[in-house]
Amino acid sequence: MKKNILALAVFAALLASPRADAAAAVPAKPDQLVFKPFVYVPPAAKDHRMVLKSGVVAYLAENHELPLVNIQILLRGGTYLNPPGKEGLAELTGYLLARGGTKNRKAEDLEERLAFLAAQLNSAYGEDRGTVSLNLLAKDLDEGLAILREVLTEPRFQDDKLKLRKDQTLADMKQRNDSSADIERRERSFLAYGDDFYLNRSETKASLDGLSREDVVAFHRKWVDPKNMLVAAAGDFKKAEMAAKLDKLFAGWPHKGEAAPPVPKPNHVMVPGTFLVDKDVNQGRVSIMLPGLLRTDPDFFAAAIMNDILGGGGLVSRITNRVRSDEGLAYSAGSALQGGIWYAGRFGAAFQSKVRTAAYASQIVIEEMKKLRDGDVTDEELDTAKRSFIDTLPRRFSTPVQVTGLLADEEFTARYASDPGYYAKYQANVEKVTKADVKRQAQRLLKAEAVTLLVVGKKADLLNPDPKHPVKFADLTNGKLTEVPLRDPLTMQPMAAGSAK
Amino acid sequence: MKRIFLAAAAILAVLAAPPAPSQQLKVEDHVLSNGMNLLLVPRRDEPVVSGGWVAKVGSANERPGITGISHLFEHMMFKGTEAIGTKDFARDQKLIAEQERVRGLMRDEEAKMRAALRRGEIDDVAKPENKTPRYKELEKEFDALVKEQRDLLVKNEFDRIYTKLGASGMNASTNTDLTQYFITVPKNKLELWMWMESDRLKAPVFREFYSERDVVFEERRLRTESTPTGRLDEAFVEMFWHGHPYTWPVVGYPSDIPAITKAEADEYYALFYAPNNITAVLVGDFDPKEALAMAERYFGRIPRGKNPPPEMTILPPKWEAEMRLNGEADTNPQVEVDWHTVPFQNRDSYPLQVLAQLLNGRTGRLYKSMVVGDGAVATNVTARAISRKYAGEFEIDAEVKDGKAPEDTEKAVYVDLEKLKKDLVPAEELQKVKNNFAAQTFRGLQQNFFILLQLMGNEGRGDWKEFNEGPKKIQAVTAEDVRRVAQTYLTRENRGVATYTRKAGAAGAPEDPGLAAVPEQMRPMVKRTLASLATSTDPDKLKQTIAQMESQSAQMPPQMRPATELILQKARERLAELQKTAKPTEK
Repeated sequence: MKKNILALAVFAALLASPRADAAAAVPAKPDQLVFKPFVYVPPAAKDHRMVLKSGVVAYLAENHELPLVNIQILLRGGTYLNPPGKEGLAELTGYLLARGGTKNRKAEDLEERLAFLAAQLNSAYGEDRGTVSLNLLAKDLDEGLAILREVLTEPRFQDDKLKLRKDQTLADMKQRNDSSADIERRERSFLAYGDDFYLNRSETKASLDGLSREDVVAFHRKWVDPKNMLVAAAGDFKKAEMAAKLDKLFAGWPHKGEAAPPVPKPNHVMVPGTFLVDKDVNQGRVSIMLPGLLRTDPDFFAAAIMNDILGGGGLVSRITNRVRSDEGLAYSAGSALQGGIWYAGRFGAAFQSKVRTAAYASQIVIEEMKKLRDGDVTDEELDTAKRSFIDTLPRRFSTPVQVTGLLADEEFTARYASDPGYYAKYQANVEKVTKADVKRQAQRLLKAEAVTLLVVGKKADLLNPDPKHPVKFADLTNGKLTEVPLRDPLTMQPMAAGSAK
Repeated sequence: MKRIFLAAAAILAVLAAPPAPSQQLKVEDHVLSNGMNLLLVPRRDEPVVSGGWVAKVGSANERPGITGISHLFEHMMFKGTEAIGTKDFARDQKLIAEQERVRGLMRDEEAKMRAALRRGEIDDVAKPENKTPRYKELEKEFDALVKEQRDLLVKNEFDRIYTKLGASGMNASTNTDLTQYFITVPKNKLELWMWMESDRLKAPVFREFYSERDVVFEERRLRTESTPTGRLDEAFVEMFWHGHPYTWPVVGYPSDIPAITKAEADEYYALFYAPNNITAVLVGDFDPKEALAMAERYFGRIPRGKNPPPEMTILPPKWEAEMRLNGEADTNPQVEVDWHTVPFQNRDSYPLQVLAQLLNGRTGRLYKSMVVGDGAVATNVTARAISRKYAGEFEIDAEVKDGKAPEDTEKAVYVDLEKLKKDLVPAEELQKVKNNFAAQTFRGLQQNFFILLQLMGNEGRGDWKEFNEGPKKIQAVTAEDVRRVAQTYLTRENRGVATYTRKAGAAGAPEDPGLAAVPEQMRPMVKRTLASLATSTDPDKLKQTIAQMESQSAQMPPQMRPATELILQKARERLAELQKTAKPTEK
């Protein structure tokens, strides 16, 4: 019977003129569309992971579509290794690895050769890791690896390049108070993690002046060691051949370094209240912060979905909808809950609005935090957030470079050890989250009465709200309003009020 | 002898080695029954389809009074249609009409406020305190209508449908020449893309028009008004392109954004968003036959535009004299020199791109002569050649090194350029640049989304095929071509120069305390003098200057005195320093 109906339908379709069929085939609403099922299986570490002879772990992916090879080395360590008084050392060393020449090649010659090969060799130390990356044409792989070996084992740290980098760093330092976005970023970090945390021990003119070539050499010898390394390589090569080449890259390391200690954890309790930095711009930049969590928190998925509904999900999220779409108060408005890798991260909502409506927009954001905590999310909201998490997973692995990079990152950040099936179970873990889970996380995290609010903008206007919505910053938080002076860009010490005029 | 010959042959062999073959992208190029263009690039690397379409309209198609309207569409196109965004289309339409009536009355009041501004009775039309009482009344009436409409809205439904079905990276962008809309969907959702994009192109509804206009103004504040050099950059572009539509900002003038009406937007849409002015592009995992049939079914519904979009008739004027802008801002001193060049696909655009890369980067000529070494005058320098749809520019930016004056940095730029106008570029240097262009063609093919962006960018300027053809033309550039374009375009009368210096005390940057006594309008001059003093190396010349200034100081007007004293003091200090370090053997 069922079969017959089907046959009939096919017959009817054949009879219909193609024109009428085409017109009929556009449904009135997109929810009437039918999609073929599609199940995504994320890449698995076991298909890419191998341990090299040197003990270095490598993630490899072959891809012969383009004649390119990309190699990335992750290095344990980071700016947290800077000894007190030597702030800027990791950054300087990281930059000069690739830029300062090698024992056999002057920096200029190295640069010329790389440029002639159209090879991109870069190195840097960031907060929690160093990276050395090489992207080049497959035909030049052997020469590129030989250069990479020299750069890693026998960097020259040429004096003039060191001086140039210091000059450039000093020039950047002088711009520290120029953009309100930079001021906001910096003060947010001070408020979130405290003055003593390594993230906030920035380089100063004095620390930079004190850095010598000997410091750089010592830093390199101590930390640039295979025992701190992990490799991701993707592109036009055969896996076995690449493994052999990488064995050679790490064989017989000429100096003995140390294993990098773990990334430190902050020891700081955020102070609730409003903090204002006076900067003569006509748009106020606002950050509203609360303590966050680790990404390994058992409730992390529920918390992430909660944040997506609140302000992380773009235009469909509540904060963006009200502040931007309803009220036209900001171009970008939203919230982020980054699960910390090494220590609990922070929850932060942020937007930028003209100085005289910045307080009103802040009030709306805080109100939305309370509403989510005290009310319920809808099925529609929960479903939208889940689908966006689940269905965008493939995009994280869109190229072989991303596949190996992301898998290597899992191992580097220790989640591979604690939760090797993280990506395999990802879609199911998102699917499991219920409305009750979201509510629990909202109650746990959105302590809207205890927010730390930072605003950067022209003080006189920030404190003189548009009469249509006369909201005062001081009334928004439980603490008082504190004016935060600008910092001297060369010493990072707070400047006396008035000098910032 | 033989040996030398061999070495020479080896070098020749290296130089003559054919450049890495550049990859050609296979693109299916179709035209739908209504004139809409469709480009299909099937690729199986990832289980997604990146889709976009480019409307061949940008700020160059605007006129003063409605500047920023092209970019406003980038926002309005997400506000829904008859089917998307409202629970009751008929009532929604009624409320929009009613809102327009009230807005018309508000505009009458805005005209009165502008008149009051011209008479000097108010200082700023945007200040809430300066609104007329009638305006405030009308604003309440308008707000009530918005509230009423909100109950009917399905807020951000366009976004929600896409997000719920796994789409990501939805966005749009506008420049002088084009407006593009793009998104990535899972591979099984191609029909969703067809539905959503054809639905909004067929008949978009510009709901929440006025709050979105405010959002755009916040975007202007974010990118232009509250950044350290945003307003100066805008003024420089304005000056550089005066007499050409590239002169006004893409985001719009601050008085135009809040004045654009919905009626103007409707009219603009009818003219420029007709299917015959649009190219859609799909890159990713799909069956091209199926995609083409589907596109005809969905996009083919949209009727061709009544009138073809008007031809842009304005040609760039011949600029007769160098233009200069000196500004102060919260920034390190910097110099920008721009020259007028040629549009997209012009035969000279290829040697100009090569020329830019000969100058740019760590192994480029400018970095070597200006940033590295004892005579350095900059901490960083970049060069680039841009060819837009109707005209082009060649741009060099440099950050002035501490202790140098912007004019030192500017002069150094010209020294390098003069060499390129005189001597042919050595073969190996030219090859290095070409190798990088060739490698770039591979790097640009690594991800669906970037292929999409590049195809749309080329098509929006005139022709997607440039994506494949351009790299070949770059490889054919000769040293003679490079010299010729340097001579032709990089001339004094063809350039605009911007120099920025740090605004006194503004951001707490270290500054000579002596400057505090100097009248504000004199500080830039004094600072420049101090900067050149600090780098002076000629003791005799310094002595001469000091003597001259001392002899004149008696007749100096009192407001000049603090500046003179400061300069004198610094000159003496510098002289002492030079005499201390001077080698005794020189005497």
